[in-house]
Amino acid sequence: MAGPPNKRQKREEKHEGQMPQKKFYRQRAHANPFSDHDLTYPEHPSAMRWSEHYPHFVATIPAAVPKDDPIATRDYNEYYVARMEKRVEVADIGCGFGGLLFALAPRMPATLILGLEIRTSVAEFVQDKAKALRLQQQQQPPASAGAETPPVPGGYENVSCIRANTMKFLPNFFAKAQLTKIFLCFPDPHFKARKHKARIVSATLNSEYAFVLAPGGMVYTITDVEDLHVWMVEHLAAHPSFARVAEGEAEGDECVAVMRRETEEGKKVERNGGRKFVAVFRRLEDPAWP
Amino acid sequence: MTHPFQCIATVQLPGRDEYLAAACGPKVFLVNAGKGEIASEWSASSLTTATSNGNDDAAGTSERPAKKQKTSNAASHAPNIIKLTVSLSQQYIVAVTDDKVIHVFEITGHGELKALSQRCMPKRPCAIQVLPDNATIICADKFGDVYSLPLLPSDAALTQNASPGAEHVDVMKTDEATFKPSATNLTVHTERNRKALEAQMQQKNFSAKKEPLKFEHKLLLGHVSMLTDVVFATRQVDGKQRSHIITADRDEHIRISRAPPQSHVIEGYCLGHSEFVSKLCLIPGTDILVSGGGDSWLGVWDWPSFKLRRKFDIRAAVLDTIRQDAEVSGADKTDTIKKADKDVVVSGLWTAPFANAKGKQETALLVACERRPSLLIIPISRLMLKKDESMTQTRVGHSVLDVTCIGDSVVLSLDTRSAGPGRLQPMKLFQSSGNDKGAVDYERDEEMDAKLKCLTKSSTDAHADDKALDELLYGVANLRKRRGWGDDAGGTQVDPSDTKRDDNGTEAMDVEDDLTVHKP
Ligand SMILES: C[S@@+](CC[C@H](N)C(=O)[O-])C[C@H]1O[C@@H](n2cnc3c(N)ncnc32)[C@H](O)[C@@H]1O
Repeated sequence: MAGPPNKRQKREEKHEGQMPQKKFYRQRAHANPFSDHDLTYPEHPSAMRWSEHYPHFVATIPAAVPKDDPIATRDYNEYYVARMEKRVEVADIGCGFGGLLFALAPRMPATLILGLEIRTSVAEFVQDKAKALRLQQQQQPPASAGAETPPVPGGYENVSCIRANTMKFLPNFFAKAQLTKIFLCFPDPHFKARKHKARIVSATLNSEYAFVLAPGGMVYTITDVEDLHVWMVEHLAAHPSFARVAEGEAEGDECVAVMRRETEEGKKVERNGGRKFVAVFRRLEDPAWP
Repeated sequence: MTHPFQCIATVQLPGRDEYLAAACGPKVFLVNAGKGEIASEWSASSLTTATSNGNDDAAGTSERPAKKQKTSNAASHAPNIIKLTVSLSQQYIVAVTDDKVIHVFEITGHGELKALSQRCMPKRPCAIQVLPDNATIICADKFGDVYSLPLLPSDAALTQNASPGAEHVDVMKTDEATFKPSATNLTVHTERNRKALEAQMQQKNFSAKKEPLKFEHKLLLGHVSMLTDVVFATRQVDGKQRSHIITADRDEHIRISRAPPQSHVIEGYCLGHSEFVSKLCLIPGTDILVSGGGDSWLGVWDWPSFKLRRKFDIRAAVLDTIRQDAEVSGADKTDTIKKADKDVVVSGLWTAPFANAKGKQETALLVACERRPSLLIIPISRLMLKKDESMTQTRVGHSVLDVTCIGDSVVLSLDTRSAGPGRLQPMKLFQSSGNDKGAVDYERDEEMDAKLKCLTKSSTDAHADDKALDELLYGVANLRKRRGWGDDAGGTQVDPSDTKRDDNGTEAMDVEDDLTVHKP
């Protein structure tokens, strides 16, 4: 059970389509990425039921196929999971309350975007918010009928969130070279030297990001902790699978602007007049075998 | 009580005598198997292994005080050997002791063990292998990392201010916490500086700066999970040799990485286990990898394509022996079986050659399940079939701790602590001529048995009680995760009552909440 019972109750009191309130989803700030959480994760990426997260993108059986045709079963893969028209391509690792996700979704309406968050109730908040936003969009009168706000491209059907410990289970969700963008926004800094393995960027973990990213794909990092920025740059730039993107080019990337502006943490830092350190890295091709 | 041999290995020098290396507590015995006599023995001692306080400190401070206490207690008696392996060249033996030290020995012409080096790793090694180049050791640890070290450390690296990994930045940026060379008692040369350093080291909060390892080593790859096994796999592609490192972890993963110098490239994962993986075994001459662990089946993988060819069920066979044992002892069968069902955990996988009816050499897979008094023998040809699950079960009466092939004999090391003799049981495998044609049969190898008799009296002076012995020999079942209990904080710590599993290393991965600085 996630969250104290009274919070859960309050959460369930809201009507369908009503925006979830963060205060009912708060949770202790830090989760230990090394301990055995009661996590659920697919044993293999092909076993993941993405249809529950992106129902609009489920592959449809061609109408011409008769119902009893065995070909119809091809809508299910070897794990009896419904096939999808698209795969997730953008991942926000440690997405928190999902500010970045909901800002990115309308900007790339044909791309599936996923937040991954280790804290149960925070992940639930993002899921509930995605559902509420979708419903709002569906209930919007058409633009021609004089709606005050124009409908949002994609109607938030392309954004969702899962609860996951990405430091352990990234390859359970994503196949090799599946992703084109990974966001690492305001990760927990883990100051103590002996906890560096708990950081979301490390020499060895970077190999996993490289594995799920397609060559040419990007890793975006942002933090207000300068030491962590230096650490992330050092480790990603030194990793043979990544090269840092020149600052000029990075600043020209719309995703960088969105990441600065729309993350929850980004807004907080803004209010406090803090600095934000950004770095972007490109996934290089694997070297030829020796 | 007789201390069992927790690890055994074979040394087969071409054109020379065959030796069996057997570890008993802190001791290694090298037996000339042709002559049937002990050629040499060596014992780890807290003196030889507790090297510089620098290393000890590095190891101790990374753990919680409770653990530290335990470590220093353990140091008061000799450390036990937990791994034993032989280089392909048959020239070197590598042993790991439970104080995290890697010992390298040269085997001289007369079967003497010549201790060459002792290196203390930052975390407890769980698997070790000498690569086919006979020059490199790869070592996987419980913290999830795989390191490579030269089999023979160069003198320069040991005496100079080694800046490990610096020559080879192509591997990957290593973790500064461990690797950035800071002042050590090897680098500080003036008396005043040395005193200052000593004082600093004695300070409690010196833990912030970990002592860098003083010998050459490289971090090759890492999981954020406890590693359980590592194997080195090579295959030909387009006439060229490609080498890989395959790692297994407690979180059900089998990862296939390229071998150094490209070990940062992950080629893929063999995913499908729903419980921890504890053992990996490559089938020689094939692209087949067999995996075992907390699932009641063995994974049979075509590893270059990451495809699970089949799940080979072993539960039925294991339960069968339990049922039979229950019948003999008159215990309540259903109860015993119910309890045992959950504890089918694979603790050992080996391959052994045998001659088929036509005299051709085939390979059999040998499977040990923790605390089960039998060994499963499966001809490889059956592993590949889609359905057939029949296998031979050798009822050996005691749990099988380790297996090695010597000559045409397969030697099992058994936990006969209460029974006394019979710690090593040599047998011969051959193709069954009975009803089950494809199966493998076995018989005792009396000749080898006689040769190994010289070890009967060999034991360790180290005092070992049942509990300590269990801890040394049976760690695999503790890898199983406890599921289903609360998770409201999103980061449940390991069940506090489950101290056993803690010992097994989960705790080593533990991180408390010191992150309050960064409030979201
Ligand atoms: C400081 S918050 C930043 C949230 C968001 N990215 C933002 O910029 O507003 C860091 C988040 O990462 C999550 N996190 C930490 N370790 C994680 C892991 N191993 N897997 C998934 N999420 C993790 C934390 O629960 C937390 O919500």
